[in-house]
This record gives sequence, C-alpha cells and structure tokens, in this order.
Amino acid sequence: MNGFQAAIGLGKRELIRQVRQPSRIIASVLTPMLIWIFIVGGFSSAIGQDNTDANLTAYMIPGVASLTVMFASIFASISLIQDRHDGFLRAALISPAPRWSIVVGKVGAGALVAMVQGLVVLAALPFLGVQLSVVGVLGACAGLALISIALIGLGLGLAWIVDSSQGFHGIMNAVLMPMWLTSGAVFPINDAAGWLRVIALCNPLTWAHGAIRSSVGMVGIEGMPTGLDWLITFAFAGACVVLAIAVMGRASRRV
Amino acid sequence: MRCVEVDQLRVVYPNKDGDRVALDRVSLSIGHESVALLGPNGAGKSTLMGVLSGTVFPDEGTVHRGYENGLGIVFQTPALDELLTVRENLRLAGDLHGMSKDSINGSTQALIETLGIVDRIDQQVRRLSGGLKRCVDLARALLPSPGLLLLDEPTTGLDVEARASLWSAIDSIRSKSSMAVLFATHLTEEASKADRVILMSDGKVVVDGSPSELIDALGERVLRVQLRDEGKYDTLESWCKEIGCSSVHRGTDVLISHADAQHAPQVPGDPISVTLAAPTLEDVYLWHARAGIAESIGGPA
Repeated sequence: MNGFQAAIGLGKRELIRQVRQPSRIIASVLTPMLIWIFIVGGFSSAIGQDNTDANLTAYMIPGVASLTVMFASIFASISLIQDRHDGFLRAALISPAPRWSIVVGKVGAGALVAMVQGLVVLAALPFLGVQLSVVGVLGACAGLALISIALIGLGLGLAWIVDSSQGFHGIMNAVLMPMWLTSGAVFPINDAAGWLRVIALCNPLTWAHGAIRSSVGMVGIEGMPTGLDWLITFAFAGACVVLAIAVMGRASRRV
Repeated sequence: MRCVEVDQLRVVYPNKDGDRVALDRVSLSIGHESVALLGPNGAGKSTLMGVLSGTVFPDEGTVHRGYENGLGIVFQTPALDELLTVRENLRLAGDLHGMSKDSINGSTQALIETLGIVDRIDQQVRRLSGGLKRCVDLARALLPSPGLLLLDEPTTGLDVEARASLWSAIDSIRSKSSMAVLFATHLTEEASKADRVILMSDGKVVVDGSPSELIDALGERVLRVQLRDEGKYDTLESWCKEIGCSSVHRGTDVLISHADAQHAPQVPGDPISVTLAAPTLEDVYLWHARAGIAESIGGPA
C-alpha cells in the first residue's frame, strides 16, 4: 500500500473542504487582525517605539501572523474530531492506508492553508516600513508552515484522545495561548524581565517567531547562535508530527 | 479456505457501573456466503463488526482473515464526506485503498451504473437523500472489490423502496463475484434472505443456521397465543409438556412450537386469541429472545 497516495488524497480532501467553507478562512484571518488592531491601537501610544528597527505596529505583525496560523491549525486538527463524529474517520481507518498517511494528509493540507493565511497578514509589513525580499518571504513561508505543522501535529495527537470539540478547544487554548503570549509575539523578549525571558526561551514558538523576524529583516532573538532558531523550529515541528503519528498509531476503541 | 474465522472472541467495555461484556467467547466461521447477524440492541452485533473491520480490538481471541482485496464496510451511518461530491468521495476511497486512477474510474463507472446514481455523480453528498447517501456509501465500500462486505444495519432509516433497491444492488454485485456478505440487522425479513442466520444475544451466539433450518426447528406449525392473564401461563406450560410441545412467553404473549391444527381449540388458560401458523424467522427470533440464552442454545424441542 502506497501511503503517499492516501496522504495526497486526504490532503486534497482537506483543501476542497477549505474552499467549500470560506467562513473558516475568513474567521481565521479576521480574528487575529482584529486583535492586532485593538492591541496596537490601545498600546502603541502608551508603549511607544520599541528598540528594534520597527515600531510596535510592525513588530506585532509576525506574531499576529502566527496567531492566524494557530487558529487555522486548531481548525485543521479539530477536523479529526468532526471526522470521527461524521463517520468519515472509520472509512479511513479500516482502509489499508497506514495511519501516518492520515496525519501527513491533514498536516500537509492544513499547513498549506495556514501558511497562506499567515502570509496574508505578513503582506501588511511593506505598508509599515519593512521591505520584504523574495528570500525573506520564502523564509517567512517556511517559518509559518513549520509553526502550523507543529501545532496541527500537536492538535491531532490531542484530538485522537479527546472526544469532544469543546474539550479540545479548552485544552488547546489553555496550552497555545500562554505559548503565544510568552513567545515574543506581543512584546520583544530581548528587553523582557529575566524570568520572562527564561520562559520565552523555553518556548519553541519564540524561536519560530525569531526565525520569521530574522527572515523578513527584523531583529530576531539576540545573543543566540545563527541558525539555532531554525533548528529548534524544525525539531519542534518534527517532534509534534512524530507525536501525532505515535498517538494515532495506538489502538483505540473510539472510532 | 474460509473467508473469515473468529475464535473465542471476548470484548469488554470498561464502565463506571461495572465492565460490560460486549462479546463473550464468540467463535464462528464465514465462507463465501451471505450471513445475517440478527439480535436485539446490545447483542454484540456492531462490536463483532468492529472486530472484523479492525476498529475494535478484542481483549481475547483471534481473527483469521482469508479474504482477498480487503474489506468493505457500510456502517449504520454513511462514512462519507458530505462536502465532497459523489465522485470525489469515491476517488478518495480508491486512494485510501491504493487503487490506480484507471481502476478507480472504471470501478466508479460500473458501480454508479449498478446503483443507479449516474446523474448524481457530481453532486455534493449533503444534497442527497438518505437513501442515495446509503447507495453512495455502498459504492464506497464496494469500490476496491472487497472479498468481504460488512453491512452494519445498512437499511436503518430507509423507506421500503430505498431498502429494496439497496438489497437489489448488493444481490446484483454478489451474483458477479464471490464476495462474502455479513450484515447486522433487526429485521427478520432481511435476515430471511441470507444464506445463513446467526442470532446473537448478550454478546453470545445463540443459534446459527440457514433460515430454513432455524424455522424447521420450530416444527411445521406454531401457535401464537394471547393470554388474558399472565398467571395462567403455568397451566399452559404444563399442557404443552403433556402434548409434547414447547412454549416460551413474555407477559401474556405465548409461542408454542411443534403444534398442529388439533391443538388450537384445546389451548387452556382462557386465551384471548389463538393463531395457528407456519413458523417464520420472526418466530425463531422471538423464541430465542424469550427463552433466554441458557435454554435456547439447544434450540426448541
């Protein structure tokens, strides 16, 4: 059995579902943009300029892009619970397709959609004084895709265990929102208090944000070896996908 | 080579109020035939289907699969993506089974013609009626030409016409292949069309045989008696023993096996009604359901 054929088929299905549910895309982009507008509008004058090469408005854009990716990733992984309730998952599980193909199909399509949504947000950077190069955009794409791969992998592992979408949302929000808030998405960690900087440096999202910022010509994580941010981001994404495959490979009676 | 054999299957579902035994040492063997799993809710039919499909893992026992081309399964509710069209759903089913593009297209065309859904091929599944969704789900299950088709109460919620057309399509496909069919049902009318009927209750196989064998075991005639008072059943039971018949009851409803015409007017206990009839599979079902497992394993006298 060629698992890649199954993975591609399942990935196509996810993309078709996206196209036929435009409200999902709109919600994923609109919510972070509103958060960005209100946070920047509320705090920029109070905080003033940060010490980097971009003001707070521009500084927050990569963080808002990752929040967009986070919402899209939650949608992508919660679809596993919906598939279980709708009965579709049973058809996939009784087929000879390996379980990893389900993970790869969902992660691949979900990451593609999330990355595009994140890019829509990043497209605001040139209007805020940050010049983007082709290499920079490609780097940002890779960073957003890796964040999405990691979060969808994490979400699929959780969705395999949790049966209700309410429970899934509760746990994901409890895990992901603190991760996002302490990742330097809203404030520069280079200037953060010591304890907060330690927490931020233990957070893989911080490194992903650093990788994206350095790609688009903004200041990443200061005082760290070059490429460490990418290494950690790759490792996080890979570990989450492996986790999802391992969890979904377990025997379950709840299909 | 048998299509599938299970030996001493035991499945226990953990429960706060005590574990529930869904399958209790079930052993059976299925050849290239049509087999009906008959039984009340909670009998273990769906769990057995789950074990055979590999979605439920038994606590004990073994499953030997001898069928080729894998397994097709139609669940109680369609396992389709409602946002996808019929064609997209079938293409995905083919991808999940590793079929080539040509093979998917060829099988899809043949199945939609057999099932009469050619004009629905590019419609989203959510726009279809319940009966058509079942047809599409059947096409999904049949696409890889499976050696074993499992149907878990496939006609639940369907009207008479939709039910008939679904079975007609299955019969048509079976006539062209050696595919074995195992279906769970509550309907004795559906079960009577199978080559073999397995009656389950409380996670156990109660009786197993062809419909005619099971019906013949009740004799040429049965008496269906409605008593005025359940307390009179003891009198009726004693009379049955005297005349060499067996009886079972639930409340005031009594079923007497191996009866004949001369017994009908002699039924004691002041019955409201007495009906003499040739036994049906429904009588077999009621007999074993009322007799309980312990008494019914040996079948009626």
